[in-house]
Amino acid sequence: MKTHKVEQLVIATVGFFWCFLMWFSTAAFSPSIANHYNLSLAALGLLASSAIWMAPIGRIIAGWAADRFGAPRTFAFILAVCGLVSIASAYTTDYDILFIERVIVAIAGVSFVVGIQHVAQWFEPGEIGTAEGLYAGTGNVGAGVGALLLPRIFGLDYQAAFLWLGVIALVIAAWYLLRGEAAKHDKVRATARQSADLRGTVYVWTRYIAIALMLAYAMSFGLEIAMNAWLPGYFTRGFHEALLALGFTSIAGVQIAAGTFAAVQSFTASLFRPFSGFMSDLFQRRGWTPLPMIARTLPYAPRLHWLAISLLLITLSMVALTVAGLMNSLPLSVMVLVAFGVFVSFGTGGTFALVPLLFPNRPGVAAGFIGGVSTAGGIVYPLVFAHTANIHMGYLYIALFMFIPFTLFYFWAARYEHHPEDHGIGDGLLGRPKPVADKA
Amino acid sequence: MQNNEQQTPHEPWYKYGVAFIFLEMFIAIAVSVYSLYMAFNGLGGFPGKH
Repeated sequence: MKTHKVEQLVIATVGFFWCFLMWFSTAAFSPSIANHYNLSLAALGLLASSAIWMAPIGRIIAGWAADRFGAPRTFAFILAVCGLVSIASAYTTDYDILFIERVIVAIAGVSFVVGIQHVAQWFEPGEIGTAEGLYAGTGNVGAGVGALLLPRIFGLDYQAAFLWLGVIALVIAAWYLLRGEAAKHDKVRATARQSADLRGTVYVWTRYIAIALMLAYAMSFGLEIAMNAWLPGYFTRGFHEALLALGFTSIAGVQIAAGTFAAVQSFTASLFRPFSGFMSDLFQRRGWTPLPMIARTLPYAPRLHWLAISLLLITLSMVALTVAGLMNSLPLSVMVLVAFGVFVSFGTGGTFALVPLLFPNRPGVAAGFIGGVSTAGGIVYPLVFAHTANIHMGYLYIALFMFIPFTLFYFWAARYEHHPEDHGIGDGLLGRPKPVADKA
Repeated sequence: MQNNEQQTPHEPWYKYGVAFIFLEMFIAIAVSVYSLYMAFNGLGGFPGKH
């Protein structure tokens, strides 16, 4: 079959966009569902949080499956299963069954790592940052587009939305299966298939640099999804007087204002992500390596420096959020939040501009580990935020006690000038996996 | 590899990809500015009113 890498990028991006739309479609209609089934606030919170449940373990399995069976078959399978269950949920009248069905539909979120693997198998090292950024950033917008458009198109009729989302998912699954090609060359494909064994998986999971990238992604994407859930409540409670002063006096008005400030973070974090991939490519082309300690002679050293800069900026913006909050300045807090969203996107785009280069023979397994385990941040950070005496102090505590150690670990793991992936936990016991070597 | 990357010109698709990136950033900035303008003027956030 004659194809081009741009066609493969478009297929992966459309597939991921639709999966992201399905992933958060339950949240977009949660008021309608709550009204239909008379749900309590606790039940509504459970329904909203269920979207993330499957991500950590699901992404690990999906990454392995992409290496083993190829991205087109894995992605089409995810789209087909989620699409069929979404269609079934449109006809469900029992809430318990609906809840289970929507948890299954939320598996769509694991498709991220499959597309990352697919794009990595097609694009060259010099353009991988931009390609992965375009894929992931454009796909992530599906969440924002869904939140804005789905309730406007379908109103309260969530059943019709679930039906159409499912039907179109089946169409995209067929497209992916017909036109998708797993890799640019058979040799690349064969290497990924061979390396998707238990030994190779344990090898990736124990590399210091893989753990450092996983923590970097927890500092960026994990934080992004945590803030999506946390920020509306934060502005409502932390700046209640300021919102009243702006004229938002009703409960609905306060929710709209708080939601708007929170959405700014989500929008910038998604839409600036491709720019971060572009910046990673730019650092690489220019050979910029400004930071101390981090390797300077590795083939992808400038990309390591770009990600390190992103991690420092994320940490600083977390401190700035606390300072703005303690100053009780709503405008300053929102301005910091805009910068915060951009810096988070630098981290997400910068991480996945590196993953395929560090583990070129195991892109799926590596993406599954780094993109999967890190989503636990979406559960951990809000718990810390919610358990501080002063609502503004949570950002500072996370920065001091989690992000600074994570960043120091990254600097330490990225210091090797030759093959950082050779260094990991239990090297004496594990050795290197036999069939393939991860030398770029 | 680094030197090769510096010397190899990008393929034709790359400039369209970069143009799309800047379009996405423009949308992000425009939506953010409009939303914040609405909110700070007590008019409700994008795209609704309170």
